[in-house]
Amino acid sequence: MGILRLSHVDISVPDMELAKAYYTGVMGMTLVDEIGDRAFFKCWDEEDHHSLAVRHDPRVGMDRFAFKVDHEDDLDLLESAVESYGFAVQRLSRGDEVGQGESIRFETPSGHEMELVHEVEKVGPSYAKVNPELPFGMQGIAPPRMDHMLINAEEVGDAAKFYMDVLGFRLTEQLMGSDGHPIGMWLERSHSPHDLAVVSGPNGALHHFAFWLDDWDHVRTAADILAYNAVQVDVGPTRHGVTRGNTIYFFDPMGTRNEVFTGGYRPDPDFPTITWTEDNIGRAVFYYEGEVNDRFVSVHT
Amino acid sequence: MGILRLSHVEIRVPDLELSTAYYTEVVGLVETAATEDRVFLKGWDEQQHHSLILRYAPTYGVETLGFKVQDLEDLDELGGRIEAHGIATKRFAAGELGPGSGETVRFTAPSGHVTDLVHGMVQVGNALPLHNPPPEPPGMVGIHPPRLDHAFLMCEDVDEITAFYTDVLDFRLTEQIMADDGHQLATFLERTHTAHDIAFITGPQGAFHHMAYWVDDWNELRRAADNLAYNGVRIDAGPTRHGATRGWGLYFFDPAGNRNEVYTGGYWADPDREPITWTEAEMGRAVFYYDGVVDQGFLTEHS
Repeated sequence: MGILRLSHVDISVPDMELAKAYYTGVMGMTLVDEIGDRAFFKCWDEEDHHSLAVRHDPRVGMDRFAFKVDHEDDLDLLESAVESYGFAVQRLSRGDEVGQGESIRFETPSGHEMELVHEVEKVGPSYAKVNPELPFGMQGIAPPRMDHMLINAEEVGDAAKFYMDVLGFRLTEQLMGSDGHPIGMWLERSHSPHDLAVVSGPNGALHHFAFWLDDWDHVRTAADILAYNAVQVDVGPTRHGVTRGNTIYFFDPMGTRNEVFTGGYRPDPDFPTITWTEDNIGRAVFYYEGEVNDRFVSVHT
Repeated sequence: MGILRLSHVEIRVPDLELSTAYYTEVVGLVETAATEDRVFLKGWDEQQHHSLILRYAPTYGVETLGFKVQDLEDLDELGGRIEAHGIATKRFAAGELGPGSGETVRFTAPSGHVTDLVHGMVQVGNALPLHNPPPEPPGMVGIHPPRLDHAFLMCEDVDEITAFYTDVLDFRLTEQIMADDGHQLATFLERTHTAHDIAFITGPQGAFHHMAYWVDDWNELRRAADNLAYNGVRIDAGPTRHGATRGWGLYFFDPAGNRNEVYTGGYWADPDREPITWTEAEMGRAVFYYDGVVDQGFLTEHS
């Protein structure tokens, strides 16, 4: 019941050919569809139509992000919850959006366009459903699936309150400023450390989206692939204090920050929230380095 | 709403002291309570009172297993459905079934296993502070897995127990091994959007094949194997890859002869995911993907 997980992130890029080359050749996603000025990608283990939509635009940015809900009824329930909170909801019919059935779209208090979708066109994973062989010889990093995303908001507490009170997200960890205001809040629906996180920054901005890798060994392989392809690495491979995961941050050739992520833990809904204090911000974000670089804090799209 | 995950397994051991030493020092679980005939243990990252109970008995095998439900009302809802299915249930108040125990609905599943649905087990917290915690507590001994992951049981009629788990308890089928005669040889069922929380394979009613603790990655499996070999623990199979669940596993036996596994990997499963089917001819790769054959001991040894 309710929101299940992150479904897809829709970004804009100034160079479609470069985006396609990077997200297939380096990231190792599958190009599922190209329609007009948009391209749709999925990871090899994902069954749904796409987890990344890229649109041509002179400016790099994020158009919207979408979460998948468990039941068809959840769209109605969450639509009225969002409307009761005072935000207008746009309803899309089947066929209005590529690869999707009905969905709802609305603006959140953090200035992001969010979409909720239930029915998604199934294109299937990259293996058979009878006696499946593990896919072999894939290009690039080839993560099995998208994992989570991190967005910016001017008022982190207000933004997170909406996701929690209206959309049912649960708070796993928070980074508290010494003035008592939250600097970052990590929210989950999938019994993982986070599906969506909100950190201090401009409203409407994207900090990064992250792909799941199976383990630290795959993270190391990813670093090799990124270096070989001259991709600009932001931070890592390293460990997060928050979420306890292992990670690398890097930028796609147009400037959108990507992450590969593994590890973490499995919180029950009654999980007690972990609090990081501002004097520990370095270890909270980068546990090994113990400090956060300026680029990590200031660059977003 | 409904069942959240596997909560705990209670196994029988004829030597409580030896088994406690094994589960605390070799496996590296944390002891949280002990009574005259039972010892309660948890993985270091688990918030709840216990995920394993050792019960003194002249034999081995599984005594009970428990699932955690999300809301208290789920006990009434699921208890009612189990009764409507023609199976008697018994209700226990929190604490009635021993240290830390939550409010419980107990029944015997069609597979012959005594099964608990639990809400409100005492929370003791994991081994880390809630402010600025390190990723892992220092000085852990043994394999020290963070948490229990799944259980694997045996019964005579896998089709029947699978229908019970999916129809009555709302589990979802992720994978199945189909016999040439059209029956299910083994099934894998989940509530946590993972490859499995519980699985069944054809065998004697009420039998225990193994329970699995989670480790973070393949490298941890190697370290676990080193640890087990050093301690003279009998390793059954692995480290290897499973075809079914796509996870990596290492099987071994506790001193009483109950099979243990440490497990990692697998995948995320949406509720609308179509199950994977393995045919009997490919059963070897379904169970041990690298070896391609299942040794007889793996199929016949149980407790």
